[in-house]
Amino acid sequence: MPWYLYLALKQLFSSGQRLFFTLVSAVSVALGVALLIIVLSVMGGFGYEIRQKLVDTQGDVTVRASSVIPSAAAMESVIRKVPGVVATTASAQGFVMVEYDKKPAFPTVQGIDIDTVESVTPLGRYVTGGSLNDLDDDSIILSSILARSIGAEPGSKVEVYTPLALEKANNDNEILLPTTLTVAGIFEIGHQQIDSSTVIVTLRRMQDLYGLGHSVHSIEVKIAPGLDADYEAERINLALGRAEGTALPQLQGLEARSWAETDQDFLWVLQLEKNIMTLILLFVVIVAAFLTMSLLLVLVLKKTREIGLLGALGASRRAIAFCFCLQGICIGVVGTAGGLVLGFTFLHFRNDIVRLVTRFTGSQAILEQFYQFSELPSHTSGHDLAFVILAAIILSALAGIIPAAIAGNLKPAEALRNE
Amino acid sequence: MSEAVVSARGLRKSYRSGDRNLEVLRGADLDVGAGESVSIRGESGSGKSTLLHLLARLDSLDAGTLAWGISAGPGPRGRARFIGMVFQSYYLIPELNARDNVLMARRILGRPDRAAYVRADGLIARVGLAQRAGHLPSQLSGGECQRVAVARALMNSPRLILADEPTGNLDEQTADSVMDLLLSLCSETGTALVLVTHNAGYAARTQRQLFLHLGVLNPA
Repeated sequence: MPWYLYLALKQLFSSGQRLFFTLVSAVSVALGVALLIIVLSVMGGFGYEIRQKLVDTQGDVTVRASSVIPSAAAMESVIRKVPGVVATTASAQGFVMVEYDKKPAFPTVQGIDIDTVESVTPLGRYVTGGSLNDLDDDSIILSSILARSIGAEPGSKVEVYTPLALEKANNDNEILLPTTLTVAGIFEIGHQQIDSSTVIVTLRRMQDLYGLGHSVHSIEVKIAPGLDADYEAERINLALGRAEGTALPQLQGLEARSWAETDQDFLWVLQLEKNIMTLILLFVVIVAAFLTMSLLLVLVLKKTREIGLLGALGASRRAIAFCFCLQGICIGVVGTAGGLVLGFTFLHFRNDIVRLVTRFTGSQAILEQFYQFSELPSHTSGHDLAFVILAAIILSALAGIIPAAIAGNLKPAEALRNE
Repeated sequence: MSEAVVSARGLRKSYRSGDRNLEVLRGADLDVGAGESVSIRGESGSGKSTLLHLLARLDSLDAGTLAWGISAGPGPRGRARFIGMVFQSYYLIPELNARDNVLMARRILGRPDRAAYVRADGLIARVGLAQRAGHLPSQLSGGECQRVAVARALMNSPRLILADEPTGNLDEQTADSVMDLLLSLCSETGTALVLVTHNAGYAARTQRQLFLHLGVLNPA
């Protein structure tokens, strides 16, 4: 081992007062690193779950037009021929009023093709009470919070009012008769907004409720794992463009968009939030780096005569400077390692910690209501991990540079004269 | 005189002190032969330490010439091979034990081999600290620390030892033993010695005695 590394390690990890100072510096770096890892992982977890739910609920690619799509089957057949496309399903969306036991709710309604939906979105995974297979044209699946709010459960008969019925009542003076549907199941995605205001019916029932005939609003597409959704959306657009004027009718605004493109504003906000949080928390590591620098500056002042001695023993100025710079790097490495252990330990027990805090504060329900989660998600990307490690070590190394430069610039004779 | 280990001619050195220019050395001449011991005495502040620093090339000359004898390479590494230094305040590295302090002189030149460890142990034993090789400087007495410093100065088998008041911080009895050790080791190894001291008795034990006065070296 080169003498400067040997001496740096000996000086950092000698017993007594010096070891205490080293540990204080390393702990400050560790706390910054742990904080960064925890926050980035939790935010990453939210982002990952949100992205997963976006894909799970809307498929990898969605094809829409400005108007309704009248010939879904023909269009699906064109889309399915695009390389990389695994499956397609048609759907329609709208708003309804659901009433049960005199308690109304105004959720969005999703009409799904019961035969093909599972091949595109794993909706059945989220149905907790009952089963997606039980859904038929006379039944409905309610989201969990909505079901609780109106007191409905599987087997309950709810009344559904649509804008079409209201329109008829207004124009034709017909009596407004609701459609009665039986609750076939309850689903819970884990996203408060969806879980509190969504219902699912079959596509045929939706077409009937909205008077769509055989038309649909969109076609959801599943692509092969590992393929880029944006690239596949482009290929679908090309295929639909080529097919126009043939079997398919001309549709204004017909376009395939990936889930990421559809929700790009939302995803951008998520990324922005994460970036700003990273920047803010990076200041904790910067403060730790300044602490390291002040420690090393004190060390250089204290060791002035030793620096002179090293020069007298034949050490070059550059090697002496490197010895002190290495101490900054060592503090960074030890602090980063400690911070990673601390951060990942916290992440491992994160839900126990949240439960403990909410038990004392009695805030579990509020947490679910406003933050839309009951379990704290975590997803640490390799990119985030590399960023945190590099940032901490580089900042610590930078913290060592000024003391190192001072040490390296000391002339041995002057240093030896120093009292 | 045998072949010169170090030869200095007309060394001049001054320092800025506020508005004043303090001329410490005003043309000092010195030749030290191989294995020769030379003592330099002088008043406090007369420039004895400055002269040693110039001889070791730890400081730059204002004027004059300085030549080291054979085999000294350029730069700090050359100094490490050619010169060993002993200081009044020992300057041991507090985080290293006695043995590692001695080895540090070799470590700076490169990774110490087995022979270096053997030599360090031999030197530690020679200065009478075999039982205390694993002790930190804080666990050693002043005399013991200076013995370690002497062993460190000899670690790279230098041609010249520059000792700057090596007994200045020691009581009389300990100072005597350290001086005995230093002189005998230099004699045994044929290493030249330039000893800066205030003590006329120790100076008298060297082969040649000089006195630094008004920036010039004169025979005492």
